[in-house]
Formats: sequence, structure tokens, C-alpha cells
Amino acid sequence: MTDCADFQDRLPELFETGANLNEEEHLKQCENCTALVRDLEYIAQQAKLLLPIHDPSPTVWDNIRSAIKSDMGQNSSTSSSARSAT
Amino acid sequence: MSAGQTESKPAQHHLRRNPPIVGEAEAIAAAQAGDEKAFETLYALHKRRVYSLCLRMLGNVAAAEDLTQDAFLQLYRKIGTFRGDSAFSTWLHRLAVNVVLMHLRKKGLPQISLEEALEPSQDDGPRKDIGARDLRLSGSIDRVTLERAVENLPPGYRLVFVLHDVEGYEHNEIADMLSCSIGNSKSQLHKARMKLRDLLRTGQRKEAAV
Repeated sequence: MTDCADFQDRLPELFETGANLNEEEHLKQCENCTALVRDLEYIAQQAKLLLPIHDPSPTVWDNIRSAIKSDMGQNSSTSSSARSAT
Repeated sequence: MSAGQTESKPAQHHLRRNPPIVGEAEAIAAAQAGDEKAFETLYALHKRRVYSLCLRMLGNVAAAEDLTQDAFLQLYRKIGTFRGDSAFSTWLHRLAVNVVLMHLRKKGLPQISLEEALEPSQDDGPRKDIGARDLRLSGSIDRVTLERAVENLPPGYRLVFVLHDVEGYEHNEIADMLSCSIGNSKSQLHKARMKLRDLLRTGQRKEAAV
């Protein structure tokens, strides 16, 4: 059990460094940790299939365009009031 | 291929995440000069990625569309500050991530720091897998099942998992987006995968019991 805890503490780093897990002594004798490693690898692989979802509705762009126009209106009125103040 | 081996192939990730987009550089320059049509082009090129991130983080179409809108409005206001130090999609994603995090904070995490927001409570975290019960996930996991499990991850885990494993960002990019350490990003990713395994196995046990 301590071996499992030790191995699982090291596991994030083993994944990150791309270490060859087949050479890990602990995995040669521990069915549980071997299953854990396989599952985590499988989850990481399957995650790649999740992209993309789909597009937002056309309303989103309509709202953005309106907000931009309103922004521009405010900016131009701000600059014209600044001009008339001078 | 191991998760670690996947990590050691940045070129593959790069291809998946930031394929060269014809006309993007020109559209950025024109949008920076105030060309609305060019901004619309940028929206068309990136709306799906931004929306997908928002939808995965919020699990609600209306809220995801609102945040997509906010993210692109921020883009419109800030595009003049884009200097090309990173890929445009990475820079835009950072904007979107900030919009999502602000929303999550407003919804329920108003007083806590980003680091804390990224670190779920002990109860929400994954368990170490010590002991020989239900050794491994049985059979294959379909996309819908995995999507559902991802939805049930605590927000901090979900964000790092989606950015790294789904969208292919590197830990240094995620650390930059989330203003956290690279170590924190790595640790969150591992905990997210462990938690996902817990969730998927729990789901399989429930199915088997029916």
C-alpha cells in the first residue's frame, strides 16, 4: 500500500516528463496502479475527441454588433462634446 | 500513448489548437484599425472555440452565449493592445477565461483568490486509488458520458482539464491564462483526471446496479 501511495505521488511528474512507465518496477507487480495508469491515459486520449461543440446562435453576433454600435455612438458623442467644450 | 507522451508532443497539440488560419493576420491588423468587417471575420474564426469553453464551464447555453458575447466585446475594446507576443487564439482565450472566472466569482466565489478558486475543497477532490476494487474502467466511454463527467468536475479542475486535455494548451500557457504557477496547473490537471476517473467509475457502477 505504501508503494502504491508513493507511486501515485510520483505519477503526475511521470506523466508530465513523458517517462516510460513500462520501466516502472511498481507497475510490474501492482495490478491496481497499472489499471489507474491505463485509465488516466485513456481519459486523456478520449478528451481529444471532445472538440468542438457547436456554434453559438446568430443572436450572439447580433448583440455584439449592437453593443459595438452603441460603444461607437458613445465614443463619438463623447468626442463631439469634448470638441464643443473646447 | 500515455498522457505523459501526449504532453511530450507539443507539435501535435499545436496543430490541433492553432492551425494556421488564412487571412487571420490581415483581419487582426484591419480590426485594430477599426474595420468592423474584419472584426466580424475574427468572430467567425474563433466563436466556436470561445463558445465551447464557455459552455463547458457553465453547462448552460444562455449563460455561455452571454459570456461569449462579453468575451468578444472585451476583444473589440482591447484588440488594439494585441502585440502578437502569443498566438492570437491564446490571447483571446485568456480574455475568455477571465470572463468565465469573473462570472464564476460573481456566482459564488466572491471573496476568494484565483488560487483558491482553482483548488476545490477536500470533499470535491479525487481520492487516491489504493486498494483493489473495481480495478479499471470497463469498456469504452462514449463522448456524451465523458462530457457529462467533465460537467461534474469542480470548476477549477474542469477549467484546467478543458484547456489542457481538450484544447491542447501547454501548462505554461495555462499558468499564464490563469495567473497561477505551472506546478499548480500540472497538479490541477492530475487531480482533474483522477476525479474524472472516480466520476466515470461511479457512473458505471450505478449503471451496473440498474
